[in-house]
Amino acid sequence: MASMRRRVLAQHSLDISNHFRKAFAPKSGRRADRQGRRKVEQDQTRLHVPLVDRTPEDQPPPVVVAIVGPAGVGKTTLLKSLVRRHTKQTLNHVQGPVTVVSGKKKRITFIECNNDLNSMIDIAKVADLVLLMIDGSYGFEMETFEFLNILQAHGFPKVIGVLTHLDLIKKAATLRTTKKALKKRFWAEIYQGAKLFYLSGVLNGRYPDTEILNLSRFISVMKFRPLVFRNSHPYLLADRFEDLTPREEIRASRGKCDRTVTVYGYLHGTNLRMGTRVHIPGVGDLDVQSITTLGDPCPLPDADSEKRRKLSEKKKLLVHAPMSDIGGVIYDKDAVYINVPGNFTRGNPDAVEGEGERMVMDLQDVADTLDGAVSKSHIKLFHSSSKPLTAEVATAAGHSSDYDQSDDESSLAGSQSDEDLSDEIETGDESSDAKEDNQSDSAEVDDHSVADRGRSSLRRVHRTIVDPPFHQLEDQDVQFAESDSDVEDVDDSNADAAPIRFDDVEISNEEPGVHAVFAELPQANRRKNWSKVIYSTSISPRDILSGTAAPPTTPKNLDDEEFFTQVSTAPIVTEGDFDMSKEFVNVDDLREWEDEAMLDSVRGLFITGTSLEGEFKEQAGASQDGDVDIVDGDDRSDVNSAVDEAAHQATTLAAKKAALKRKFDEQYDDPESLKLDFYEDAKGEMARQLELNRAEFKDDDPESRVLIEGHRAGSYVRIELAAVPCEMVEYFDPSYPLIVGGLLPSEERFGYLQVRIKRHRWYTRTLKTNDPLIFSMGWRRFQTVPIYSLDDHSIRMRMLKYTPEHMHCYATFYGPVALPNTGFCAFNSLLSDTAGFRISATGVVLDIDRSTKIVKKLKLTGVPFKIFKNTAFVKDMFSSALEVAKFEGANIRTVSGIRGQVKKALTKPEGSFRATFEDKVLMSDIIFLRAWYAIEPRKFYNPVTSLLLSQKEWSGMRLTGQIRRDEGVKTPSNLNSTYRAVERPTRRFNTLKVPKKLQAALPYASKPKLVKQQHRRTYLQKRAVVMEPEEKKAIALLQQIRALRKDQVARRKEKQEVRRAAHRQKIQKEETKKSEKDKEKRKEYMRAAGMKSRRESELEDGNSRHQKRRKF
Amino acid sequence: MAQSTAALQFSGHLGLRHRLVLAIVSGKPLRVDKIRPHDQNPGLRDYEVSLLRLLERITNGTVIEISVTGTAVLVKPGIIAGGSVTHDCPLSRSIGYFLEPVIMLAPFSKKPLQLTLRGITSDDRDLSADLTRTVTLPYLQLFGVSDGLELRIKKRGCAPLGGGEVQFLCPIVKQLKTLHFVERGKIKRIRGISHAVRVNPQFSNRMIEAARSVLNRYIPDIYLYSDVYKGEDSGKSPGYGLSLLAETTTGALHSAEAISQPGVAPEDIALQASRALLSEVRHGGCVDRAHQMLVLLMMVLGSEDVGRCRMGEPTERTIQFLRDVQTCFGTTFKIVPADPMDRSSTELMFSCYGIGYVNANRTLA
Repeated sequence: MASMRRRVLAQHSLDISNHFRKAFAPKSGRRADRQGRRKVEQDQTRLHVPLVDRTPEDQPPPVVVAIVGPAGVGKTTLLKSLVRRHTKQTLNHVQGPVTVVSGKKKRITFIECNNDLNSMIDIAKVADLVLLMIDGSYGFEMETFEFLNILQAHGFPKVIGVLTHLDLIKKAATLRTTKKALKKRFWAEIYQGAKLFYLSGVLNGRYPDTEILNLSRFISVMKFRPLVFRNSHPYLLADRFEDLTPREEIRASRGKCDRTVTVYGYLHGTNLRMGTRVHIPGVGDLDVQSITTLGDPCPLPDADSEKRRKLSEKKKLLVHAPMSDIGGVIYDKDAVYINVPGNFTRGNPDAVEGEGERMVMDLQDVADTLDGAVSKSHIKLFHSSSKPLTAEVATAAGHSSDYDQSDDESSLAGSQSDEDLSDEIETGDESSDAKEDNQSDSAEVDDHSVADRGRSSLRRVHRTIVDPPFHQLEDQDVQFAESDSDVEDVDDSNADAAPIRFDDVEISNEEPGVHAVFAELPQANRRKNWSKVIYSTSISPRDILSGTAAPPTTPKNLDDEEFFTQVSTAPIVTEGDFDMSKEFVNVDDLREWEDEAMLDSVRGLFITGTSLEGEFKEQAGASQDGDVDIVDGDDRSDVNSAVDEAAHQATTLAAKKAALKRKFDEQYDDPESLKLDFYEDAKGEMARQLELNRAEFKDDDPESRVLIEGHRAGSYVRIELAAVPCEMVEYFDPSYPLIVGGLLPSEERFGYLQVRIKRHRWYTRTLKTNDPLIFSMGWRRFQTVPIYSLDDHSIRMRMLKYTPEHMHCYATFYGPVALPNTGFCAFNSLLSDTAGFRISATGVVLDIDRSTKIVKKLKLTGVPFKIFKNTAFVKDMFSSALEVAKFEGANIRTVSGIRGQVKKALTKPEGSFRATFEDKVLMSDIIFLRAWYAIEPRKFYNPVTSLLLSQKEWSGMRLTGQIRRDEGVKTPSNLNSTYRAVERPTRRFNTLKVPKKLQAALPYASKPKLVKQQHRRTYLQKRAVVMEPEEKKAIALLQQIRALRKDQVARRKEKQEVRRAAHRQKIQKEETKKSEKDKEKRKEYMRAAGMKSRRESELEDGNSRHQKRRKF
Repeated sequence: MAQSTAALQFSGHLGLRHRLVLAIVSGKPLRVDKIRPHDQNPGLRDYEVSLLRLLERITNGTVIEISVTGTAVLVKPGIIAGGSVTHDCPLSRSIGYFLEPVIMLAPFSKKPLQLTLRGITSDDRDLSADLTRTVTLPYLQLFGVSDGLELRIKKRGCAPLGGGEVQFLCPIVKQLKTLHFVERGKIKRIRGISHAVRVNPQFSNRMIEAARSVLNRYIPDIYLYSDVYKGEDSGKSPGYGLSLLAETTTGALHSAEAISQPGVAPEDIALQASRALLSEVRHGGCVDRAHQMLVLLMMVLGSEDVGRCRMGEPTERTIQFLRDVQTCFGTTFKIVPADPMDRSSTELMFSCYGIGYVNANRTLA
């Protein structure tokens, strides 16, 4: 049935093509064939490997749009223009990410990337879209190409080119050709037809509005394909950064102590779970102390504005850029700066009050302490509450009774109702626990705490812990609370002394009546909240289970006694002590199966027992109803149960209907039309799974949801990091992007990585084994020492001293594990003053191991000192008999190619041995043994800590040569390593003498057939030739012809030479003319370049760091 | 700074196997202390040491440090290498003890594992080789570990002298499939293997007869195979046993077995096995109690999607395992009653968000 409509449509289109058959018929068979083939081809090119898109649909994280380009190209201007376009606000001083709302379901984080290579690498790893800016009047610069290559290694996000400074090209024709040339180069680099925008000039410090409008439209409709790496890692582009270390500690350590910092930002990628370690590129691996989801500082439009087609004007003004100066407030790393334009007098009515001014004035206006304010405040817990919340604990407990009542009721009702089951069961369990030890003091945290907007975090208040074994909260929660109190709540620090609570705290004080009701409940009808019992208590597993199976355990068992100390009290060896896989089978327990009724009770679980099953179910249902009646005779619960019953019937009916429908579909639908191809199948499967992911935890409360699935992508989180090096705080610069990348469990490990690597064709030098190389792989940037190798006939990995030209090879190095198939790029130096192209190699990770199998060739040589027939004694190869023993049986060879074997060590010259050969060797032969020596890469790993430097210019380990150059040390030279002229005396071989006797015995074929050279002239040499007259004539004629020919050729050559000389002269003349023209041209160009650089230097106020490196 | 991965800290000898598995899979160092400190014979037992040796052999770069008294052990896991390994199990535990953790690790190794284990093939503490073959491996297949997954019982060996030999072949996977096993179905067939070595082969037939006397009432589709090994292949000690499994329409398996005890007639063993099977069936869920841990671990290691599985109440080991998973991977299961409407059912729905574990050990090209 599902495909009914589709089928009807198909039928309709079939009708049309049947009706106008001729109109759709191809004119020629060949063309039809070609068209068909082309269509199929096009269809195939449209297909891509199906990838799961894990970005949530309801609250997607903002799209990261990075603005990248060389210095002086107009990045900041573009950023300001785009922000103004989206928010109608002009930023004076932009730093760090700027988040704006761009559509009903879309936000954008703009970030400007400075010209530092480290920043470019980091940005390439998080940007969803790159606006690659190119100075049209100057052309491509090396950084642009470097950045494109970095992008390529890390998954290649979308790129839009933006050409600026086009107004500097005056001539229309030049403009046209420039555009054309740049576009051609850009297309070659990205793909044919890549989008390139042209921004003409700057008006009022911004680009023209229409051009920016076009660009922003283009950005906002852009769709992004998920990139594999980002789809499997959580990450965050920090837009705020705070130092939480106590001031006193910093002072005591003179600022050198490890810091505790918080970073804020939107989560991207996958869900971020507690316990995940993170890596901050430029800083290192860090432990996450706590993660808190905060209120969205730049929220998407909500439901009411959703109804409108266009984004409302109010929403348009939202901008979140804590590192910039929005609204006159700059949040720095350790302070908040308030920018007051002009002069400002307090109480001046006509002075415009910005957010900042108001904040300061509010602070100044405070008359009361916070304690006082609280005691005076009239906070009501619920809008229905009659009395406001007061600071006394006792009254708070008393007043909340009305709520408790309702909650208890609902918990009873919840024992039948389906909705909100988990919540209510929690309370039910709580009360049953309370019953067991007659301690009834449990305060429930209201899960739905209100999320504050912007700066403040979720406030969590933990319950008072009276009964440790039952209400042991996780450490995490306590930490959350404490850290929050550090930031905002000053008063929470003395919470233990005087428990004043003004949050939504519910303190349940169960009455004995409730206990009685619960006591009556049959054991089986009480359900455990398994998640809670397992995860948030420390009750031993055995006690958890016996709680249901056996009568209630005595409080003694439930003591906080450690599980493993039980042995001392009970020396009896229980079955569990063996760590068995099988459940212990108690023979006595199995006796129950002797009962016929017991045997029949499970009949319903077999296919043969279908009829009985219904009865069984019905019985169960009846008993359930009976239970309900026993539990409470309230009208409400009756109503509830009736509603439940109705709902239950409805669901069963719906299920039945669905089954019938499925049956019908199976019978009547065309199976061929329903069958999808592999591609559609895979996509459907992914969609189903995503739908399930969304639906599964939809009804859970946020806290348990975070426990199960972690913090979802798209939420604004605050991550507290511990033990951060102080330099990160000290030298924090918001113009360098701060990225927090989550690590997978395997990525925290270290090992030997084998990668496939290729030297970049634009990098001018070859790479050498054991030279340090800086890798950018995964989130990390690190320096390590690779060893290059090649597969030698699939037998061994043979070390290479240098990388091969234009060919992939393997590299093996020690470092943090990255999953196989992760791309990387490598650099020899990240410094900005490096000449030439800086990316030295690119490649992909192949394998991870804890040992390596790289070998290099080792040739041991020796010389024979005594030769028998096929046996020789060889010396100088080994130094001891032990070494020889190790090589017994090894293959050896002479230079001339005679193969042999090491036999046994000799006693006399130490290290000499007996060897046998396939033929007799000569004393002059050199004998060598080819061996393979295993080498292991050095365990050197040096993370690039560029964010810990004041200058951000990180230079890692230098090469030996570089150190020598820097220190002025001469290269030590070994005399043995120097080249010497090779002297090879000519070898004289004695003549082979075959004894006469032997010669006689030899067969003819084997006899030496050396004959002496003839001394007398032979007949042919001696004879005289007398020619006939005709012959003589003919020969004379031939001679004459040859002479004539010779003369002719000579004359022709002479003439040619003359002509050539003339031509050369002509060329020379043209050449000089051309060179003069060139000179003129160069002069012109240099003048233009000079002007441009002067203009730049004016712009940059002579900032020497932002110089153009070189033109490509 | 970069290399300080927090170690997993546990105490006590219980759950050592799954803790080792978690440590090796996650790559975190594991420290277990207070191993039988008050026992007359304190410290690790011979089978535990043997297990550590076995794990050291199937991994590359694992460092195991056992304290002088043997009451504490530190394991710094390497990568799971796989390949062909032979291991002689001590006679204090059966092969099942060693096979269980290896089965959890094997799909994530670098090379397909070919493990030969020698020792006792079935005893009353751990899963016998029969049930491992007929039940554990099909559970593994649910997660996409299927091609070339095999357990060959070359020789049977009963306690106390053993002499059995099994060969376990396991392919490698890149990533596990997400499990959705929510329909329990109804039992459609019962299969069983009764084996008898170095005793009268008639024993096995007697067991089959007795088991049928209990099970025939439910379903006609019952095949109980009599598996008699002779000569060299029958091990060094006499013994017999019956292992049973019930398969439902949706493919859920419930298993039980009983092994010969001195002075107990084969009929009684068969009755014990079939009644244990009925208890297991009544316990409910799509996974039987002995395999809860395996299934839950594979769910945690699945792709970053929600996996669901219906199970009976968790066992003690499962509860401890769930807690250990939380400390190791930070993954928490959502555990709710499977049918909230039905008050009498104790079945639970376990759902979790996989951590997206990818076999990093796998070699590319």
